[in-house]
Amino acid sequence: MSRKRALIADTFCLTKRRRCAADSVTADGAADIRSSLQYLMTLFSRKLFNDSLPPVVLKHQLYSLHNDKTSVDKQVNELRENGDLLMFQLGFDSEAFALVFAEDYRTKVLQGEAGRETLGTVEKFLAKLIPGCSDLSFNKEKMLKEFLFTDPAITQLVKSGVLTVRDAGSWWLSIPNSGKFIKYFIKGRKAVLGMVKKSKYGEILKTELEGHHTTSQVKFQMKYHIHEIMGAELVESIQTTSGTLLRYVDGNVN
Amino acid sequence: MLSFLYARQSGLDDPVRLRRAESTRRVLSLELNHNRDVDRIHGNGINTLDTEVIDGRYMLSGGSDGVIVIYDLENNSKKPQYTCKAICTVGRSVCRHVHKFSVETVQWYPHDTGMFVSSSFDKTMKVWDTETLKPAEEFQFDGNVYCHHMSPVARKQSLVAGVFSDQTKPSACEMVNVSLTGHRGEILSVRWSPRYDHILATASTDSRVRIWDVRRASGSLFTLDQHNGDKSKASSEAVNTAHNGRVNGLCFTADGLHLLSTGTDDRMRLWNSGTGENTLVNYGKVVNESRKGLKFTVSRGCSPEFVFVPCGSSVAVYGLHSGELITMLRGHYNNVDCCEFHPDYQELYSGGKDCNILAWVPVLRQPGIEDDETNSKRGGTQAAINPAFEDAWSSDED
Repeated sequence: MSRKRALIADTFCLTKRRRCAADSVTADGAADIRSSLQYLMTLFSRKLFNDSLPPVVLKHQLYSLHNDKTSVDKQVNELRENGDLLMFQLGFDSEAFALVFAEDYRTKVLQGEAGRETLGTVEKFLAKLIPGCSDLSFNKEKMLKEFLFTDPAITQLVKSGVLTVRDAGSWWLSIPNSGKFIKYFIKGRKAVLGMVKKSKYGEILKTELEGHHTTSQVKFQMKYHIHEIMGAELVESIQTTSGTLLRYVDGNVN
Repeated sequence: MLSFLYARQSGLDDPVRLRRAESTRRVLSLELNHNRDVDRIHGNGINTLDTEVIDGRYMLSGGSDGVIVIYDLENNSKKPQYTCKAICTVGRSVCRHVHKFSVETVQWYPHDTGMFVSSSFDKTMKVWDTETLKPAEEFQFDGNVYCHHMSPVARKQSLVAGVFSDQTKPSACEMVNVSLTGHRGEILSVRWSPRYDHILATASTDSRVRIWDVRRASGSLFTLDQHNGDKSKASSEAVNTAHNGRVNGLCFTADGLHLLSTGTDDRMRLWNSGTGENTLVNYGKVVNESRKGLKFTVSRGCSPEFVFVPCGSSVAVYGLHSGELITMLRGHYNNVDCCEFHPDYQELYSGGKDCNILAWVPVLRQPGIEDDETNSKRGGTQAAINPAFEDAWSSDED
């Protein structure tokens, strides 16, 4: 006996599609991603970092809000090509990418640099970066030839936190003062996963987890972490009649 | 469904369209069938399955105990309950020439069922004659043979590509006479393209997938790069790699235009086999903990094609180009190692460490009410009424 409804191919459900046209993904999918990004940015706790960091969202948090991962990737790439969104490689996981709106990034970086002698170089770098370039890392030739920076200028950029060392002669693009963010993020993620693991049967309703009081380890909002672990598939999300159930997946490294 | 039939009848639609729509509907309704069983011969895990292409009737399986079994898949009895019998076995007690260690890959000769090739961890690859079940030819290697494959479209010459591990020299893909070098780690999987008989793909533990043209055995044609040449995305060691871990499974789609690869970084990637470009279809986390090669398969003849990947102890079904997880087929008790799709009946056979081969058969539409009545009138073998509901005092004539 199978209780689940049988899967039907698209070709066979013409009438169904006509009836529920409102539910299906419409042409303005790009606006969807942007609004999801903005919603996720509101979950980011600004006060924690004394307003020195722009709101950061992880790319796989979007996967928890939208079903089709390929179209999410495509739209994120489109926004990056347009220069609205910047993507960063965070370093602790080769698949975890951070997304920041370009405008927020620019304002925060310049705010952080105000008064320091590296301001001029950073401004020049941002001017080159934001409309045109969508790379995550830069190597020496590119910096010297395309962007026309000198070696001391590159050192200034590294000092200001806009570039981090990748290996000899190449650098990752990075967010200044993001070290604290990464530290709290990893601790919080581990704590939330621990909460799911310790609950009875290793599973917990999403609404219940959101209502859990946050321990001292968890500095961000619970919803931020929950979207992240759902999107990274560190927990299995199962739809039940009482809502979404999150089940701990064995074999996680964390 | 009726609209499809009418359109085909009146010539509005291509005949292929009805076939594809029906195949897709059948694949989407795959379920573990309690009527269909496969004889349980293996005493240890099953590593590989292969169905012959001519009739789709006979299936080979190779196990970790070195035993090779041939099954007859066709249901000649009129009953729905059917066990696929093992016709013959190359077993330990029966045959002197049996493989000493685990059989990793078996494959029928692509043009008829007269012979098949098996390769195993006892460092040999044997070509067997199906009639006599004796090896007609035996190739010795220097290391464990992880995988071999024969080109399904080769007409002029039959080449078998085998890959093995060797401690002393860099791993090579060795065919009858030619040796292809280029990988820096053990090669776990090799596949010929079903479109061109000279294109070969290999996947190895050094995270790279290489495409070779065997007509010029000087070097690989190209390596598949997951970032499509965007060197900025990866860390410096991971530049030009197909996966962030070992690549342990390869499968071409039926038309040979795309190649799928799975890796221990829990990702599956779809590549354009002509240009080597990553199509960036995101399948999500495809759990992959296999230390050796993983054998997965793609459906043929359906409209959105499906990929069947063994994931732990179940088989995951993904849409090929959309990347969405359609369903998980659960039924095995332990890890699933291999799966094989039967294109004519849209059936899936999967084998794993629990020594079982499970058959996943499309669930047919339930018979309508008129069929039940006609059956009972004719006094057919199927009872229209469940015996539990029958009572002793009501009569049929009422």
